[in-house]
Amino acid sequence: MNQPASAPRTGTPGPVISHRGERLRRIMKNRYLYLMILPGALFFLLFKYLPMWGLVISFQDYQPYLGITGSNWVGFKHFERLFNEPTFWMIFRNTIVLFAYNLFFFFPIPIILALMLNEVRLLMFKRIVQTIVYIPHFMSWVIIASISFVMLTLDGGIINELLVFFGFSKINFLLSSDWFRPMYILQVIWREAGWGTIVYLAAIAAVDPQQYEAARMDGASRFRQIWHVTLPAIRSVIIILLILKIGDVLELGFEHVYLLLNSMNREVAEIFDTYVYTAGLRNGQFSYSTAVGFFKSFVGLIMIVFANWLAKKFGEEGIY
Amino acid sequence: MNSTKKRLRILTMCIAVIMTCSLMAACSSGNNGGGTGTNTPAGEGGTNAEGTAPADDTPFEITMMVTQHSAEVPSNVIPQLIEEKTNTKIKFQWVPDGSYDEKLNAAFATGSLPMIVSAKNTDFAKDAIRADQFWEIGPLLSEYENLSNLNPEVLNNTAVDGKIYTLYMERPLSRQGVIYRKDWADNLGLSEPKTTDDLKEMIRAFTQDDPDGNGQDDTIGLSDRSDLIYGAFKTVSSYFGTPNYWSVEGDTFQPEFMHEAYMDTLNFFRDIHSQGFMNQDFPVTSKTDQIDLLVNGKAGVYIGSMPDVLTLSNQLADMNPDGELTVVNGIEGPRGKGIWAIPGYGSVVLFPKSAVKTEEDLHKILAFYNELMSAESANLLTWGIEGEHYEIKDGLANKTVDQVTDNTHVKPHNAWAIGGPATIEGMLKGYFELPARALAEELVAANDEMLIHDPSAPLDSPTYIERGGALQQIITDATYQYVLGDIDEAGFQKAVDRWRAEGGDQMIQEYTEAYQAIQ
Repeated sequence: MNQPASAPRTGTPGPVISHRGERLRRIMKNRYLYLMILPGALFFLLFKYLPMWGLVISFQDYQPYLGITGSNWVGFKHFERLFNEPTFWMIFRNTIVLFAYNLFFFFPIPIILALMLNEVRLLMFKRIVQTIVYIPHFMSWVIIASISFVMLTLDGGIINELLVFFGFSKINFLLSSDWFRPMYILQVIWREAGWGTIVYLAAIAAVDPQQYEAARMDGASRFRQIWHVTLPAIRSVIIILLILKIGDVLELGFEHVYLLLNSMNREVAEIFDTYVYTAGLRNGQFSYSTAVGFFKSFVGLIMIVFANWLAKKFGEEGIY
Repeated sequence: MNSTKKRLRILTMCIAVIMTCSLMAACSSGNNGGGTGTNTPAGEGGTNAEGTAPADDTPFEITMMVTQHSAEVPSNVIPQLIEEKTNTKIKFQWVPDGSYDEKLNAAFATGSLPMIVSAKNTDFAKDAIRADQFWEIGPLLSEYENLSNLNPEVLNNTAVDGKIYTLYMERPLSRQGVIYRKDWADNLGLSEPKTTDDLKEMIRAFTQDDPDGNGQDDTIGLSDRSDLIYGAFKTVSSYFGTPNYWSVEGDTFQPEFMHEAYMDTLNFFRDIHSQGFMNQDFPVTSKTDQIDLLVNGKAGVYIGSMPDVLTLSNQLADMNPDGELTVVNGIEGPRGKGIWAIPGYGSVVLFPKSAVKTEEDLHKILAFYNELMSAESANLLTWGIEGEHYEIKDGLANKTVDQVTDNTHVKPHNAWAIGGPATIEGMLKGYFELPARALAEELVAANDEMLIHDPSAPLDSPTYIERGGALQQIITDATYQYVLGDIDEAGFQKAVDRWRAEGGDQMIQEYTEAYQAIQ
């Protein structure tokens, strides 16, 4: 497996036949590896690349009975409609703000949690805590939204009852545009923070213990060890996850936001995904909603290229 | 060492093979899912056409997409009897009520509609209907004895450009009314509410005057949910005399929310909400939670479909054996009595040409529906099998079956019946043990005397099709915001202005022109 597969290909002069023979031989040699790639490659081809052709309907007036081949081409009409929509900037702002919340409030939490878990000396305790913080990840948003509803409702919700008990007035969490974003990000943290630690814990486990020993010899405290050994060691992992996160700039979890969305918080809670759903699937405007989705992905692509470029500027590897 | 290596290699291969297989399986089953609509009917329609020519007894295969209202899997008992009667083989695609619109749009977009498509109305496919993608059946109905009994006026409400493409399921024009705790009203010496003021007073008293007599301030008046139409709002709005979505004055259309009566309704709700007489979180309350408030003895008034009093009473009896519910309608507001009406149908069925290939097949389907509209079949679909699911009492159908069996054997199949008691002679009406339920039946009939119709029902507006949903959202949001006190009258007016600017004015104009065209 550690064959010199990356031997300079261009350097081999020889006739084409032998070149091909060489490649075939190499493929045969690593046939099990190639076999293992096959399901993944097929998956991406079938479910990720093939459906992309569907994007052409954003330039058409798609009519189901005419199909992709028969519908009329209309150029950028649907994109024009999107950019002229009075609510466009509201949706754009909401999406960006929620993304910023994700980046600033959620992203550091798994790192901190992983560092803390790493410092726990009692192995049993560490395992138990790990298991407990992983559990929320396996709950669907529907369940999380219902739990929050039961806890936060004004009509007998435990949180509001407690507030009243301690002499405060009730807070309308569910029906307020001020509370939507904190509620959203707290739910994200509750569900995903534990799960997010896995990658970091794995990276931390790979750090050479000798480095800690050396740091201790130099008299570094625990905090100093984290700062000067652990963090630099997992820096590249953090950067890669950050790039991936930025690429997901507009993927805020349709289901989650849709469950929290209502008439009272729409002005801060409507994002592209929920808009696509209402405009497209509920009102049957396939071309228009595809155009919105296309725009969203396009922004995501720009962001990921930008983040990658930035990472390389800072001397990191990036993702490609 | 060598053997471990070998074993590892075998393991790798196994995993790769398994993964590839499961991937293939996943996508082939995906293909099947998408393809049932397009391929099967076409294929089987073909074999059938050939099959029917020599021997006429091969059952004709029908595919249909139906709304599933209950959580349980529908039983096959009744469909089998229908299949025998009509010499068909019915393939159901049961789709849960909550996601029906989505599934319908998705099936439509991917060209995988079944032969029989049930929908709330024709809006989802107006363009396709105009492009001749669905069978026009208007001229054919007279050939069928039972189908010709369908009400022409209601059919016209379903028409597109005056042509009829659908059969419809009949619904009483209005079932809306008030359900309340009679025992609470008796405790407080309140009589039946007759006016909107009475109603408000009852809601107040149920909150403040300790109707359950337990000495604690633990009740509210009204239990409502996040539905401005089938929840309390629209029904109360008709008590105040608000038009049903649209009004026509002279020749001009006007939306309901530009009327003073709508403002009165807003103030009614704002008032009871701000004083804590209703559940504070009603804009996010589900129907289940709304019902729970009533049956747990927390709330005393429920405004919605009056026949629901039966299931509500059953649930209340489990929690509060002394509780008693009753119904009332005809609440009088400052502008007289009124109640909003639906256009006379609950749902419609359409026949896409992509699945129903030939006129011959269309006739077979119409013959199938003609049979469903016979009294015998209609009773079977609505009430079940006589002696097993119901018995006849005083010439009415009295359900004798338990709730669970009813929910799997009988009720799901109500969803694909067409017509109803008004169009099917000899179809049984229901007998109800519970007096409140029998009263509800009378009051539903009495609602017919004060109906407010939606004048836009037979009319068409391209703007409505394109952005009606988004426009309605503006008004819905503003309505909730006003009721909860987030905006004032000027704020509501601003939302109305936005509605007009973003396409509302265009809709007004389109409806007005369409109306003038048919006058």
